[in-house]
Amino acid sequence: MRVVLISSHSGHYTGGVKEFEIEAQTLHDVIRVLNQRYPGLGEHLEEETSVAIDGEIHEVAYYHPVRPGCEIYFIPKIEGG
Amino acid sequence: MSKHHVTTTLNGNAVEFLCDTQQTLLEVLRDELHHTGTKEGCGTGDCGACSVTVDGRLVCSCLVLGVEAQGKSIQTIEGMAQGTSLHPLQRKFLEHAALQCGVCTPGILIAARALLARNPDPSEEEVRFWLAGNLCRCTGYNKIIEAVLDAAHEMRGS
Amino acid sequence: MDAKVIKQEGQTLKIVGTSPVRPDGTPKVTGLARYGADFALPGMLWGAILRSPHAHARIRAIDTSKARALPGVKAVITAEDFPEQKFEFVGPERVAVNFWHMTRNVMAREKVLYEGHAVAAVAATSKAIAEEALRLIEVDYEPLPHVIDVDAAMQPDAPLLFEDMITRGIDPPPGKPSNIAKRIEFNIGDLDAGFAAADEIVEMSFKTAPVHQGYIEPHACLARFDSNGQGELWSASQGHFVVRAFTARLLNMNIGDVLVHPAEIGGGFGGKTVIYVEPLAAALSRKSGHPVKIMMSREDVFKATGPTSGSSMTVRIGVKKDGTLVAADGVFKFQAGAFPGSPVMNATMCGFAPYDIPNVRSVGYDVVSNRPKSAAYRAPGSPISAFAVESVMDAVAARIGMDPLKFRLLNACKTGTPTVWGPKHAHDGYAETIKAVLAHPAYAAPLGKNQGRGVASGFWFNNGGESSATVHVNEDGTVVVATGSMDIGGSRASMAIMAAETLGIEYDDVRAIVADTASIGYTHVTGGSRVTFATGIAVVEACKKVIVELCARAAMIWKLEPGEVVWENGCAKPAGAAAGKFEPMPLKAVAAKRALTGGPIGAEASVNAGGAAPGFATELCDVEVDPETGSVKILRFVVAQDVGRAIHRSYVEGQLEGGVVQGIGWALNEAYIYDDAGHLLNAGFLDYRIPVASDLPMIETVLVEVPNPNHPYGVKGAGEVNIVPAMAAVANAINNAISRRLTDLPMSPPKVLAAIHSGRKG
Ligand code: FES
Ligand code: FES
Repeated sequence: MRVVLISSHSGHYTGGVKEFEIEAQTLHDVIRVLNQRYPGLGEHLEEETSVAIDGEIHEVAYYHPVRPGCEIYFIPKIEGG
Repeated sequence: MSKHHVTTTLNGNAVEFLCDTQQTLLEVLRDELHHTGTKEGCGTGDCGACSVTVDGRLVCSCLVLGVEAQGKSIQTIEGMAQGTSLHPLQRKFLEHAALQCGVCTPGILIAARALLARNPDPSEEEVRFWLAGNLCRCTGYNKIIEAVLDAAHEMRGS
Repeated sequence: MDAKVIKQEGQTLKIVGTSPVRPDGTPKVTGLARYGADFALPGMLWGAILRSPHAHARIRAIDTSKARALPGVKAVITAEDFPEQKFEFVGPERVAVNFWHMTRNVMAREKVLYEGHAVAAVAATSKAIAEEALRLIEVDYEPLPHVIDVDAAMQPDAPLLFEDMITRGIDPPPGKPSNIAKRIEFNIGDLDAGFAAADEIVEMSFKTAPVHQGYIEPHACLARFDSNGQGELWSASQGHFVVRAFTARLLNMNIGDVLVHPAEIGGGFGGKTVIYVEPLAAALSRKSGHPVKIMMSREDVFKATGPTSGSSMTVRIGVKKDGTLVAADGVFKFQAGAFPGSPVMNATMCGFAPYDIPNVRSVGYDVVSNRPKSAAYRAPGSPISAFAVESVMDAVAARIGMDPLKFRLLNACKTGTPTVWGPKHAHDGYAETIKAVLAHPAYAAPLGKNQGRGVASGFWFNNGGESSATVHVNEDGTVVVATGSMDIGGSRASMAIMAAETLGIEYDDVRAIVADTASIGYTHVTGGSRVTFATGIAVVEACKKVIVELCARAAMIWKLEPGEVVWENGCAKPAGAAAGKFEPMPLKAVAAKRALTGGPIGAEASVNAGGAAPGFATELCDVEVDPETGSVKILRFVVAQDVGRAIHRSYVEGQLEGGVVQGIGWALNEAYIYDDAGHLLNAGFLDYRIPVASDLPMIETVLVEVPNPNHPYGVKGAGEVNIVPAMAAVANAINNAISRRLTDLPMSPPKVLAAIHSGRKG
């Protein structure tokens, strides 16, 4: 599945790389794989981003299932009024 | 500085209180007499949240001194329902969802009752202009106007 | 069990979509409901706050000795009474709370950064003594040059609020400090190629004024804190859990040692998602050993809380002759106020979101200046960028000779349309709102002399997130629903409706309350249009757990297996092999046998709700412009908003009506006005004029319902997107009336008159 980092600080961890191909079953796995490659990125994603899985926006939570071929975007978290 | 002793009528009941010269009627009602239904939105006469009647006249209680209540009859929101039976305006405000946060509501109810006492059959425009001194930031006024018109209609019928 | 209790599409809903009287209604019409300022405790002191007379000054020294010596004064505090906080941004990017900033905003330390900035606070036995004590506090200020306007604050020689602030979000970081806290950029496609392919390009620049949320209830709270490190607060806020977390942090306390009671709230609109008076009252109470109450004056509210950002923006849109959008570029500069954190990121994300545009760049700047720290306001950020984008869209439609609604419809986003922030839209709803206005009789109604019609649209991310609810079945079979969501406009009624619908019982048999921070699980703020969605899901989940329990109890009574009982229309019913064996057993009957079957029946559910669907709105405004005075009268206003599904119809309509009217005020009247010394000149409702009843027609609402499949009843959220298109709708209507395009908010009579006389066609 395609994983894209949009939040403006994620570049610090990845040296500017924004797109990844990852195989995983849950969002937890996605975060773990990314954090193995770029230590510290996992915590950034957990604390400071929301996630869009095939466009549906969720708060980041480990249990979200991710299906093969889906699109995952870590995006800045929105806070309303 | 010694306090003033004031004797007044609040919602039909004889009441006495002590107050400082500079205390407003709003402060007296809320802080001394514990009638907190009358709200403070500005303290400067601009929002109408503190509306009460003094001898039947609609006033901003933040612009009246406590000592001016001497010998007068004050009506506040706490005296609007008759026992357990709500005033038609109160009922219509609930039915029409004419309050969101509700903090403007006591003042608007008091002001609307004063309107209907003078003009039992107001037009929409008359209601809008009468209530122009009562700010509501939540509702956009639609449902307030509808509730007042509906209450007027019911009160004329009965 | 699971899916069965939820009504699917096509099944009739009995209570959802009706408008019953709210459970908290009677106390609110009789004056008995207790708001933030309505609490008192024995021995209570009055708190008062000393505020800066300067827009920008260094604090050399504060001498409180005379104030402390005044009889009746029980405590005086300054920034020294609060522990220093670490400089770090924590939490989500948009809010990026920095407690180093927050503690300085509630009480100035090294410098005062805006007129009205708190510098000290006093608790005394009466209001009058507290006020007198403030006059005895001596502050030695060194006045500094100040800056108010966003463009001025971005100049290289502008006075700096923070001498070491380096802009974040620029790689490599700039070598010099500035007032620009942060730069944000989103891109899709190839901007240059997109504009090169355009047949027509329209570019315009805009300014908007900061506007205040204008809730009628000033901030107020009562605090009772022990010297042994525990405390209670009664506070009107949009989120008592957030008040608890922030207050505990600023006082260096454990979260569990602070109990926050949810007072009724007299309006918030985003402005009560942060704290001002709570930590001060708490610190005064802790220091004096007495309960302390603090009420802000209206002047304080204007000078030291809210507002939302003012802005300076440039938007460029490129289009093909056939109306297809090909490129868009926006630069959005937002005043954050005295500390970083404007809603500019939302603005950059939302501005172009309604449209399918292949090549987009959206740039934002978060800029500090010497005015109060901005706070969230209804769809924070989105109305500001929408004013620019929707004004340009109107001009583009005119340029290519297309109807402005059909132009929008042609380019409307739908499921699968890419967004500038990356993922594709996952929900429809925008096109439906355009069609609703196209079909509305107002769109074809004739206009008179000096009259004009404008349309505009808007997008907003409704939020989800963490919420908790409990559902308890009472001894008599009635039900109490408790949630952690402050009720700011009828949400108790919505919660009761969803619980009654799910349980299959009467609305009047359900009572909904708001529980304090010790009595229910964490619940995020009432904001972001999230309560009916996220807390609603928690309520329905708790009801489903209760239904499972009710079925198990009925099975025990009937001596069946739990799997042999289903819940239907408020009754347990034998099913499967046992079908028809017993008469259905209503909830009341099951409740009556609760002790025999295991004791009280109830459940709690806590969720982190995802899948919130965005809100779209399209609005139509008719105005009449007085050519003599430049004053603008709103003749008609129609708002069509996709709400997913309305749970309490009247309160949903009320959200639309209220949001639109706030937008009208923003468009025509509201603005912060400063003198050359950086003093706010209109810190009151007389001179900061919010719309009054006689300014307005009846707002006409159209509830578009494209259900959100991620909520059991289809809710998307209703509270915010209605304000987003409003200013552009008014501006477009004025342009239609006088052929002059106003690009500077508010569009007050002098500006309209000047535009009429400018001779420049819009
Ligand atoms: S409080 Fe008296 S008019 Fe506002
Ligand atoms: S209902 Fe909130 S101010 Fe009127």
